[in-house]
Amino acid sequence: MATETKNLHRKGESFIPTHCSYCGMQCGMNVRIDDATGRVVGIEPRYEWPVNQGRLCPKGVTAYQQVEHPDRILRPLIKRDGKFIEASWEEAYDLIERKFKEIAATYGKDAVGVYGGVSMTNEKCYLVGKYARVGLGTKHIDYNGRYCMSSAAGGFNATLGMDRGSTLPWTDLLHSDCFFLAGSNTAECHPTSITWFWRGRDRGAKLIVADPRETPTARIADVHLDLKPGTDSALANGIAHILIKEGYVDNEYVVQRVNGFEDLEKMVGKFTPEYTSWLTGVAQEKIIKAAHIYGKAKKSVVMFARGVEQQRKGVDNVGSYTNLALIRGQIGKFASGVATFTGQGNGQGGREHGQKADLLPGYRKLTDPEAVQYISQVWGIDPAEMPGPGVSAYEMLDSIHQGTVRAMHVICSNPAVSSPNAHHVWKALEKLDFLVVNDFFLSETAEFADVVLPTTTWAEDEGTTTNTEGRVIKINQIRKPAGESKPDWRILSEIATRMGRGKYFKYGNAEEIFNELRVASRGGKADYYGITYEKIEKQQGVFWPCPDLEHPGTPYVYQDSFPTPDGKANLRIVDWQEAGEIQSKEFPEILTTGRVVFHYLSGNQTRRIDFLMEKCPEPYAEMHPEMASKYNLQDGEEVELETRRAKMKLKVRLTKAIRKDTVFVPYHWGKQLSVNQLTNPCLDPVSRMPEFKVCAVRLRKS
Amino acid sequence: MDRVLYLEFERCIGCRACQAACRECGGHDAKERNYVEYIDFMESRQTFPMMCMHCKDPACARVCPANAIQITKDGVVLSAMEEKCIGCRNCTFGCPFGIPKFDFEKNIMYKCDMCYERTSQDISPMCASVCPSEAIRFIGFEEMMELRRKRAQSNLLQGKKPTEQNKWNFVPETFGVYTE
Amino acid sequence: MNFFSLEKSFYSRASMYSFIVILFLFITMFFGTNQFKHIDLALSGYMVAAAVCFIGLVYRIVAFAMRPATRRVDGRSRKNLKNKARKRRTWKAITVTLFENIVLQKFIFKRGLYRGIQHLLVAYGCIGSFIITFGLVFGWFHFELVDPNHYAVSVLGLKTFVMDVEGWPAFMIYNGLNWTAAMCLIGLSMMFYRRIKDRDLQVTQRFEFDLVPLFILLAVTLTGLALTMSAVLFHGTLYMTISMIHQLTVITLLIYFPFGKLFHFPLRPLATAVPLNYQVGEDIPMHSCKRCGTSYAAQEQIEDVVSILQDNSFDLQLEDGSYLAEYCWDCRRKLRAMRQMNMLNPRTKDPYAPIDTNTGISMPGFSKKKA
Repeated sequence: MATETKNLHRKGESFIPTHCSYCGMQCGMNVRIDDATGRVVGIEPRYEWPVNQGRLCPKGVTAYQQVEHPDRILRPLIKRDGKFIEASWEEAYDLIERKFKEIAATYGKDAVGVYGGVSMTNEKCYLVGKYARVGLGTKHIDYNGRYCMSSAAGGFNATLGMDRGSTLPWTDLLHSDCFFLAGSNTAECHPTSITWFWRGRDRGAKLIVADPRETPTARIADVHLDLKPGTDSALANGIAHILIKEGYVDNEYVVQRVNGFEDLEKMVGKFTPEYTSWLTGVAQEKIIKAAHIYGKAKKSVVMFARGVEQQRKGVDNVGSYTNLALIRGQIGKFASGVATFTGQGNGQGGREHGQKADLLPGYRKLTDPEAVQYISQVWGIDPAEMPGPGVSAYEMLDSIHQGTVRAMHVICSNPAVSSPNAHHVWKALEKLDFLVVNDFFLSETAEFADVVLPTTTWAEDEGTTTNTEGRVIKINQIRKPAGESKPDWRILSEIATRMGRGKYFKYGNAEEIFNELRVASRGGKADYYGITYEKIEKQQGVFWPCPDLEHPGTPYVYQDSFPTPDGKANLRIVDWQEAGEIQSKEFPEILTTGRVVFHYLSGNQTRRIDFLMEKCPEPYAEMHPEMASKYNLQDGEEVELETRRAKMKLKVRLTKAIRKDTVFVPYHWGKQLSVNQLTNPCLDPVSRMPEFKVCAVRLRKS
Repeated sequence: MDRVLYLEFERCIGCRACQAACRECGGHDAKERNYVEYIDFMESRQTFPMMCMHCKDPACARVCPANAIQITKDGVVLSAMEEKCIGCRNCTFGCPFGIPKFDFEKNIMYKCDMCYERTSQDISPMCASVCPSEAIRFIGFEEMMELRRKRAQSNLLQGKKPTEQNKWNFVPETFGVYTE
Repeated sequence: MNFFSLEKSFYSRASMYSFIVILFLFITMFFGTNQFKHIDLALSGYMVAAAVCFIGLVYRIVAFAMRPATRRVDGRSRKNLKNKARKRRTWKAITVTLFENIVLQKFIFKRGLYRGIQHLLVAYGCIGSFIITFGLVFGWFHFELVDPNHYAVSVLGLKTFVMDVEGWPAFMIYNGLNWTAAMCLIGLSMMFYRRIKDRDLQVTQRFEFDLVPLFILLAVTLTGLALTMSAVLFHGTLYMTISMIHQLTVITLLIYFPFGKLFHFPLRPLATAVPLNYQVGEDIPMHSCKRCGTSYAAQEQIEDVVSILQDNSFDLQLEDGSYLAEYCWDCRRKLRAMRQMNMLNPRTKDPYAPIDTNTGISMPGFSKKKA
């Protein structure tokens, strides 16, 4: 397959190998710089990186254009009379120090909230947690991964005992016999992984896709289970029913390594193909066919993404799909297992090191006194000083309305676009006494801010990220920070110093933070202690856990046992439960949201790239022509979508490749174009994930 | 050049990375020269990438009244020579594959040159390098023939040998610069 | 006498035109030089080279016009020129092309101001130099002393106007070649700078094709200017040697002219054919795509393209008798992709039929059967 590959070296230019700034694939790429000016001028494929072998999606190809982009914020901005005025770092810090101290003195330290993000390095994510808890002393810390990976984390923790997104390296996919993809449009959301599925197909592997839309991924599938949004747990139970009935269960594996099989058998007993078909809207024969294909496959992988996770039953859905892999005895083996596609660049690493309301570095629980003791010792603080668990992202934004949180520091995130029920969130952000935002482009959230601090792009700092496989990789610095921008870790350390906590934040470079993170994670579930920058370089990334310096890393997890108290995985027994909002007479259709290949998250980065904007300039309402006919809509006409929370106007895009009762709208736009004005903030009881993927909607021609 | 561009339309996921990459190529003036299109979005999300076949006897060059379309010694069919092109657009109508593009502003035709800066040094063109679905590949002639034989069942090559003039009807997803 | 029977008395059409051109040159020379009495023998090298250049040009142009594509466009233009109904369009096409395309070279300015300026300078520098050189060589014009203070300009043996020897018109005319050389020098320097600096250009430029003509022009320009320098500043030092070298460079240029990149000069008027025949407007019938119905070109142009392809024995006809050129670009690409994916409706083989949907039944992935 691999033909000889060479790179084009132009005169007067050099390459620096690094990884893409966007999704969890963290594709390897070479960034070209002009030797004379040190400016970023383009990209060149990095063929030797094993995960993507030089391949890139359109976002990756144009990622470098962010660095020299004219929209970059190059000096701190302070809002005066509703307008942003450029200021010096001193002025900005003075204001932040005064305001944070004022608010903490009046309302208590917990009145200052920190809202992090995971599109940045492990070092920065780690420091956001420490900054909140040590620098500001607040319990109110959470991050945008709450809207992304929290259900997968919850589901994996409950069933497998540990939250590593993938139980196998991506390169293994080539050797699998069957892929079961649920709620993942991987062709558009993680385009470089499609190679592995297509190569598997070349070898004869079967593909089953569960998705309300016939996505470019589902187009080639052997079976496309076109389920109704919000019915994933039923579908998984229905498949489990057939697997058990038809004798596809790996009994030996189940006896040795799995708890709760009898309960599962009892529960799924009623999920006959008829019943499942009635719940999910998928034809019976398709369900049966899918179950047989999956059951027969010797090496199979169950994979899912936000489609199943961004629901009020996200954790249950993850658990029920994981059940399938467990009863087939697939987890902990070569070319088989279970995996979730990480949405954000460092969605995996960023959730492991204490940016979450209830977690400390190394995936330690904040409620575990031993963990608090250990981390306090690493940080050099009194364990009594350690704030308790806070609340989840949406709840924190919601608590602004109650006056619990009065000031907020948003780092590497854009909740004004990404949060559900956007009008409610916008009002909250307006209500804040003081808002600081770190960003390199003026995001929709930053427009609400009192102070905007210019940060560096990913290319102007070094550090590590953990990709969707659990592989810790190294982001290299391409050029010096543009203008007066500073890396987030420096900004956080400097603010902490202003707050009188400088002695805990003495860092000269990113590697010093990483070395502290290694110690902090030591002995935890996500153990990074044995990972060093040199080792990453030498081994092309290191899979965690890696508990000591001699340890090579762990590409395959759960080979011998599961990190649960009894070493056995727990099947998740889930009865049928409706989505948070179901179709009614008033709101007769289903609205689901998702990504397009040209944009990333809230679009703050990708909406500024010419190529991507040319190809996809605005959101649209994708629907079946049959639905369109009901409302007398033609292709390209404007439609008004209304849910219980808000309404908005969009252009209609017709295709037969979607369910007849479902409208799809991509979510990458802000303000009046934001579909999150409509989405439902109904939260998963475990992961506190909002239900972005299902809500009831009504349509009107406008 | 002993490698060819090989297209397999079914693999295409419509991400248009090849087009973004095309803009990055030297001499392309930040304009893409390839196409990614839906067959019919109403019916399915099937897309297909389309690049120049680099014909040995190109129809575009034959219909050019100014003889502005040249072929390099490697067999790459280049964009119209700027000094000769009179902007008549015959090439855009004559090409059986609909490849040449026309810049009305500059009054000149431009087209896929197989990333001449790269392929002239036997470096894979940008589109094939980045294609995440391997719908576009830059591979050796032998490897291409192997892939083609595998696909022969679904091809229309039934006992007839395509010629340069009518390969449109026969040779499927294969093209590129190669010698027989 | 019929034109075609005249052609039969020559080996080829090209030889006939060459003969006519050379004959014309000699006749004008005859009148210009007062029945060959005033031939400047020092310029005889130029004379021979110029004749070779003209013969070369004729051969190249005739060969060009014989290409099916050029012949077709040529024929179409002649026909439309005669068409009285199109008179307005014809005159507009000719004047607009002449003025905007050839005189002002607007299309090059649209590719960049820098490129526009460099090309304008070199173009007019060369055209001016050629007019003066050919004029003097073939004796089309010369100067006669009327009285000690005045010159008369004689064009083809006829006296036109009289000017003061010291006056500025005389100064301008006498130094004409210096002005044109200066223009060339500036333009050429700009071109060299661009070719060295622009990385993208280096990808496609070829030394023998793109750079050699620049070197030849530069050599002509520099040696020409050196002549003036020698005469004005250095009292004629090495004048004869430089003059010899200059003559050699000019001869090289003249002989190179019909065969290299500079040949685009006589082709430019062909650009008139576009507004003359094909430019889409209200007054001409349009062609609609046979599949999607979009009007995408002038009917006559599509007919021409189809016939050129036929002349070149391209078989681009579909089962239903339509030609690929009769489909718009988008549809041509789609037809190819669909045919290669076996998606063209296999039952009817009808290119207009709606595509076989894969919704529900789905096409097999990568030529494999569905499970």
